[in-house]
Amino acid sequence: MKPVIETRELCRFYGAGDTLVKALDDVNIRIDPGEFTAIVGPSGSGKSTLLQQIGGLDIPNHGKVLLKDKPISEMSGKELSDFRRDHIGFIFQAYNLIPVLSAAENCEYIMLLQGIPAAERRERVLSMLAQVGLEGREDRLPGQLSGGQQQRVAVARAMVSQPDIILADEPTANLDSQTGMELLDMMHDLNRNEGMTFVFSTHDPKIMERASRLIYVEDGKVIREETRNG
Amino acid sequence: MGLTWKLALRNILRNKRRTTLTLLLISMTLAILIFTDGYMRAMSDVMVRSATRLYPGDGQIHHVDYLAERDGEKVISDVDGHLQRLQSTEQIASYSPRAMDFAMVSSSANNLAVQLVGIDPQLEAGVSKLESSLVQGEYLSSQGRSQQIMIGRPLAELLEVDLGDRLVVSVNNYEIDSVDQRLFRVSGIFQLNSKFYDEALIFVPLASAQEMMGIGSNVHEIAFNFVDESLSSDESLALWSELSGPQTIAEGWTTLMPDLATMIGLMDYSMLIVATILFVVAILGVINAMFMSIYERTYEFGVVLAIGTRRSSLFVLIMAEGLMLALISLVLGSILGAIAVEITGAVGIDYGNMDISGVALAEVLRPEITIGQFTELPFSVFVMTMVASLYPALHAARIVPAQALHKSL
Repeated sequence: MKPVIETRELCRFYGAGDTLVKALDDVNIRIDPGEFTAIVGPSGSGKSTLLQQIGGLDIPNHGKVLLKDKPISEMSGKELSDFRRDHIGFIFQAYNLIPVLSAAENCEYIMLLQGIPAAERRERVLSMLAQVGLEGREDRLPGQLSGGQQQRVAVARAMVSQPDIILADEPTANLDSQTGMELLDMMHDLNRNEGMTFVFSTHDPKIMERASRLIYVEDGKVIREETRNG
Repeated sequence: MGLTWKLALRNILRNKRRTTLTLLLISMTLAILIFTDGYMRAMSDVMVRSATRLYPGDGQIHHVDYLAERDGEKVISDVDGHLQRLQSTEQIASYSPRAMDFAMVSSSANNLAVQLVGIDPQLEAGVSKLESSLVQGEYLSSQGRSQQIMIGRPLAELLEVDLGDRLVVSVNNYEIDSVDQRLFRVSGIFQLNSKFYDEALIFVPLASAQEMMGIGSNVHEIAFNFVDESLSSDESLALWSELSGPQTIAEGWTTLMPDLATMIGLMDYSMLIVATILFVVAILGVINAMFMSIYERTYEFGVVLAIGTRRSSLFVLIMAEGLMLALISLVLGSILGAIAVEITGAVGIDYGNMDISGVALAEVLRPEITIGQFTELPFSVFVMTMVASLYPALHAARIVPAQALHKSL
């Protein structure tokens, strides 16, 4: 099976000399389609940096990231923007919806960039919002939704453009434990039902339990991998 | 409405207080520019009118050497020919021949050097404000006694004379090459509200002056006014050469009063300085407001870039926000500017004959509306706003998603 994401000798350093910080040091991982993978580790271990590299948001000092066999570090800015738009979905810790757009418009945003016709956009948005349990709240602005509901919109936004992989950086960190678990269950359901590949970072043991695969990161290095029955 | 416009509109409505302040800054810049332009134009027009229509006229014809030499023998000999040409020219509203020379005026109390001017009272009334500036006595009459003389109120005070008092005027007679002395009686006292004219000019009937100076029916100057006063500053007008003769030259106030022309030019320069200061302040204000807005949204921009928005789209979005601010401000600023000009135009600004560089502002100043104030000035402000938006837009487009999102992804 071809991996969705593969990193080879991935290194990301900050600073120089005595202040050199090795945020990622020779990381080699492979994510296959349909995985529900958690990158785990304490704060400052390099989880977010790894997700940034996988998502093409940052350039490595050494090594490469291959998304469907394409080295993303060799792409131009415009190619990379288009690649992220079409192949990667992002879910952020602080929801990060566009505050002036409604829930439906936030989901529609990426499809607008993709040039998908209006009717199809509307149909997919309504269906996706229904799947994440936000039927009837399509026209609400982010400020009119609870934290959990906003993160559901963020999940819907990440999925509606049908990317190859969804990257989520501590998606439950800003939610209470019950809402966090509900969101994770929802993501898991979408993974099982839609076959969507999820990679998320966390340091919450309860959330780790739901993952089908765990990649342990410490001091910028992958120290262990563990596969479970999701 | 496209996504960019929708987002731009909603973004500028996000922080209503900041948007209102930014709109006020841009629109007040335009309003002040419109008002300043209207005020400067009115000031310039009043100054030129006060200077030309008070006494000198929009233009004058002299012997080619007269102004350089001030020699009383340098006369306009073909007076009738010149007057006929002026009469048959449609653009000319009025004209007045003048015989003039330096003279000495004596009363029982004082002797003063003045300029004696012989005028045709009727024709002069059409060119200068002499008749309307009469404060005592009577205006000169063509049929009246040849002993009548008009002097300014300050001169009358210096000479300690009043209506009916006697004055002796001495002037050079070029025919006999001697001084001609005559007795006049003060028939009228005027006040043109110009220190120079009121203290230095004395007016007698044209025939009396010509006789005293021994210049026959010749004159030294023919002053004239245009129907459209704006023509007077057009030095390229063919009329100037058409009104000139073989030995005479017709010139407008810009040549005759170079100091005034320079001052009017300086007023245009002042407008440029005012505009530049306002533009710099407004540009810095707009840049500051837009940067505040961008800094607040850095994380959000990181997100939209991360999910696939191109940098060029982000640039266009910020420029669209600038465009919307500009367009709303132009409408608001034009309305505010028009109201300011209309109100001050209706009420008027009275400088009470204040003297600016020897020119008494004889009229109430009324700022005026012109088409340029609502085309050129708004266009300049529009360009200014878009230029001010450029830097924040470029900054936003250069945001690095990983840095913007350093707290999360």
